[in-house]
Amino acid sequence: MFDAFFVQQLVNGFSVGLVYALIAIGFTLIFGVLNVVNFAHGEVYMVGAYAGVVLITAWAPPLIAVVLFVMAVGAVAGFGLERLAFKPFRRFQDEASLKSKAMREATLLSSLAVSIIVREVVEKVFGGAMRPVPFESQLTDPVQIGELSFSTGQFVIFGAAVAMFAGLQFLLYRTRIGLSIRAVANNPLGAKYVGIDTDRTIIATFVVGSVMGAVAGILVALYYGSVFPTMGFAPGVKAFVAMVMGGLSSIPGAVICAIFLGLAEAVATEFLAQGWSEMIAYGFLLLTLIFFPTGLFGGARDRV
Amino acid sequence: MTHLLEIRDLRVTMGPQPILQGVSLDVPAGGIVTVLGSNGVGKTTLMRAISGVYKVGGGEIRLDGTPITNRTTHDIVRLGVCQAPEGRQIFSSMTVLENLRLGAGPRGGREYEQDLERMLGLFPRLRERLSQKAGSLSGGEQQMLCVGRALMGRPRLLLMDEPSLGLAPKLVRQIFDLVATIRETGTAILLVEQNAKAALRVADQAYVMESGRIVLQGPATELAEDPRIRAAYLGGHVH
Ligand SMILES: Nc1ncnc2c1ncn2[C@@H]1O[C@H](COP(=O)(O)OP(=O)(O)O)[C@@H](O)[C@H]1O
Ligand SMILES: [Mg+2]
Repeated sequence: MFDAFFVQQLVNGFSVGLVYALIAIGFTLIFGVLNVVNFAHGEVYMVGAYAGVVLITAWAPPLIAVVLFVMAVGAVAGFGLERLAFKPFRRFQDEASLKSKAMREATLLSSLAVSIIVREVVEKVFGGAMRPVPFESQLTDPVQIGELSFSTGQFVIFGAAVAMFAGLQFLLYRTRIGLSIRAVANNPLGAKYVGIDTDRTIIATFVVGSVMGAVAGILVALYYGSVFPTMGFAPGVKAFVAMVMGGLSSIPGAVICAIFLGLAEAVATEFLAQGWSEMIAYGFLLLTLIFFPTGLFGGARDRV
Repeated sequence: MTHLLEIRDLRVTMGPQPILQGVSLDVPAGGIVTVLGSNGVGKTTLMRAISGVYKVGGGEIRLDGTPITNRTTHDIVRLGVCQAPEGRQIFSSMTVLENLRLGAGPRGGREYEQDLERMLGLFPRLRERLSQKAGSLSGGEQQMLCVGRALMGRPRLLLMDEPSLGLAPKLVRQIFDLVATIRETGTAILLVEQNAKAALRVADQAYVMESGRIVLQGPATELAEDPRIRAAYLGGHVH
């Protein structure tokens, strides 16, 4: 059973898991601070991918320039998204509004609405079909190591995942803004009392999370070789599942679960028909919600 | 004469419901003023309005004569008004040291180190627990942390919202001793309490609130003798 083919499947599953992890990191960061799911995160990922591909198609600059450009686009997208879909719902302070389900749902729906609008606009502008990445820029060059074959994209994605995870840990635990982000995630009211500008901190969180989402988008696009308007949906769902499995607001937990999910899907294709492996994520989601409502790693309720 | 804090005809409304209906009070620089009143009369609402957490619907709050009504909380903290709020609102999943660090705001370097040393001198229990999660502290220690965190902001005015709530009698005494110690450093204190007896002992001035209004005010020693106070707050039921 542990033949080269199976190991190759694991390698590919690991890469897919890293893709989920890249998205899950920003997703979980934003959830940790606002305690609200940002349904538009998959669209930020998609917009990052399109922005990068448009730039590549026009000028074919080096990869690093593409990534920097996409980071800037992600930052603007995160800022805009927060102002548009989240800020308006934070002005209420009476208990009735704060506790009301309608308010929570309104915030959920507003990010969903933004995501739908963005997807539709991209579809109108660029068309609904898959749009190939110029071949020279694709990260699909094969790299043979023994019996296993890798592609350059897998290494880039691995490097990016490590860099983003480490960078975020550095930001959260070694910088002033990171301290503020963790404080707002832990206790938003307490954060106000120590003089933190919570609005600015929330914007910073969206910017950081969206920069990560956008960079994930372009890297994955270069790895798979194409972009399409709904490309954010499936990985967004997987990242969501990873976040829930990881305990909702634990970034390390989400990363581990994202990789696990990728591996599980790869193994499942061994035993199940093609379409069925898509059910894996939903199956895990159900099992987690039924048997581990606080995530797989026990009741660790630490935010961010 | 201008006081450090002057509140005039303050009104706060939540949804359709008026909570504060014209509250006026003064806190002199370096003084201790207490606001007494039973549950639900609007004491916390008053404190939150001063800190800019709740929006003020009418009236004025002045600090050193300058209006600060409806400024943001971070502005008000920067102007030297820090609060040890109701429910403590500490960062339970962060360490004790991080909590104190956050209280210091943007101040860093030597100044911060000195403040931290001073705070740990005041709260020796916290020194042993610096790297512990704040949520793992006992109730009394959490209250100390809450006050210590507010003091790290070097307030000119410290707002304390029921600091003795839920503490054992020995700790309650410690808290009120602490209030007296803080005053000696020149920090003015606005103290909200249901423990009227202890509050009146440390305070210079006292105000009594009932359903969103000040109904009685005067020097603490006088109010301590007032029969209405004795009947309502110093008599049988102690909160
Ligand atoms: N955010 C809020 N939304 C709605 N009502 C509130 C809010 N805060 C306080 N209240 C109401 O205002 C009244 C006074 O509350 P509060 O200021 O907490 O009283 P106290 O601190 O004196 O016990 C209570 O009836 C409370 O229900
Ligand atoms: Mg109260």
